[in-house]
Amino acid sequence: MTRAYRAELVKLLRRRVLLLTVVVAAAFAALGASLVLAAAQPASAPSAVPGRVATVESLSRAGGGTEVFRLAVSFAGVFVFVVFVGAMAAEFARGTFRTMLLREPRRVRLLAGKLAALLTYAAAALALTMAATWLVALLRAPSVGVDTGSWASLAALRAAAGDLGAVLLWVTGYAVLGTALAVLLRSVPVALAVGIAWAGPFEHLVQDAWSPASRTFPGLLLEAFVAGGTPDVSAGRALATVGTYAAVAALVAAVVVSRRDVAT
Amino acid sequence: MTTTPVLAVEGLTKHYRGRVAVDGVTFALPRGVVAGFIGPNGAGKTTTMAMLLGLVRPTRGSGTVLGEPLDRPERYLRRVGALVEGPALWPALTGTENLRALARLGGHDEARIPAVLDLVGLDDRGGDRFGSYSFGMKQRLGIAAALLGDPELLVLDEPTNGLDPVGMSEMRDLIGRLAADGSTTVLVSSHLLGELEQVSDWLLVIDAGRLVYEGPAEGFSAEREVVLAPLDPADLVALAGLLARSGVAAVPDGDRLVVRPAASGTPSDPRALAASLNAAAVSAGIALAQVHVRRPTLESTYFRLLEGELR
Repeated sequence: MTRAYRAELVKLLRRRVLLLTVVVAAAFAALGASLVLAAAQPASAPSAVPGRVATVESLSRAGGGTEVFRLAVSFAGVFVFVVFVGAMAAEFARGTFRTMLLREPRRVRLLAGKLAALLTYAAAALALTMAATWLVALLRAPSVGVDTGSWASLAALRAAAGDLGAVLLWVTGYAVLGTALAVLLRSVPVALAVGIAWAGPFEHLVQDAWSPASRTFPGLLLEAFVAGGTPDVSAGRALATVGTYAAVAALVAAVVVSRRDVAT
Repeated sequence: MTTTPVLAVEGLTKHYRGRVAVDGVTFALPRGVVAGFIGPNGAGKTTTMAMLLGLVRPTRGSGTVLGEPLDRPERYLRRVGALVEGPALWPALTGTENLRALARLGGHDEARIPAVLDLVGLDDRGGDRFGSYSFGMKQRLGIAAALLGDPELLVLDEPTNGLDPVGMSEMRDLIGRLAADGSTTVLVSSHLLGELEQVSDWLLVIDAGRLVYEGPAEGFSAEREVVLAPLDPADLVALAGLLARSGVAAVPDGDRLVVRPAASGTPSDPRALAASLNAAAVSAGIALAQVHVRRPTLESTYFRLLEGELR
């Protein structure tokens, strides 16, 4: 697994990838912080929805700076899902999975090492994005009445660690589900089409017509978790349910990838 | 060359949804040989190679590769280099980055990268993206990747695909050099029989999933044949008639006739046969421009084998 992990880093730690990551992080920080702050309302406002829209009061607390990031990220689930599905499915579609198996025939270790490297990179990219989002939010918060006086305190640092940890769990959920989908479908366009359709419109359309969907579908559960819980489902319950889904998906992917012939 | 097989399989079989791709293949490959693996498209060459490399699980059969069981590829693949079904590498990475990723994955020494790039003639293109390479260059980088671990066994599936004549010649030289000291055994498939004939000292011939020949290349086309060419091509029909009346079976080959001693019922010594045919032609007034004994080409023996003539 260590060998697969180190091999994957060769692909990730390239100037072009690093530059793209910085650009995406900066763009996300600017857009995400602006949107979250623009949508913030006083807690007393009748349209304030717990979980998906920040209140001026919650943002004024010590963890307000990184809460902006956590809420902004919750809208990027499909993007994260697509990145992992694409990265994994491309290995099968291009035939590079076969090439890798000739060096590391222990298939589950190969897949786990690759996934671990992608998650490590994602963790670093998210930390960068969180810092950038915090900075943008710090500059814009006063204009919407958010007090940033405690954003640089020790408590804010603890809150930041908690927010980053939650976001990493959220990314890991999408990564495992995306990997399983890629292993099962092996085609980039098919896996992306199915993944985007499921995590995007399908879950949300069903949610409108069937309220238990919020407590059932993995994408909605991940959204609820990273937003710190919703009126329909608590963050803990969302994490436990989606964790079960991820464990089953990982098991299925491991069995399939171990047993399947790699002819092309 | 020693007698210890570097590779031995017994009854290797693969079924795909009821279709038999490889059917009870049994062979052993001596250490240090360059073994040509030949057969028509769909005969089972790639599937056999994929089973040897742990990519495809055999339906039945067993074997050893470098002394390790076939179902434990993690024990032997580190000592095996392979290129199967073309070079599948990462297009956005440079040649060197591709090799670095694979070296790390295989636990090989990254310091060997410049040497293998040099070996395949890509030393000045290692910094270019793989996606910008011509097919021939991609193929060569695939070979370089296979050589990263200084392998004891090299498995190459159609390595000359997409190469121009110069590239093919270079590939042939490279295979010859790799096997020259006897430390590397090479199993190479190709549909270009002329190419294989020049480098192989061992042959595996597969047809419809079954191995139809296994052994030294010399033994495959050991039988000599006599070639007769009349000075005047118009005499070809007369010469054929003369041979037929003498009970000698001859096969036309352009403006020549080919007589195989074993098939003709004539003297088994090809030199004696050549002399008697020459004398018969002269006495019939047919001047011959050529009378010589030759070893049949791999290609002609191969086709005779597939047509059932030699089975």
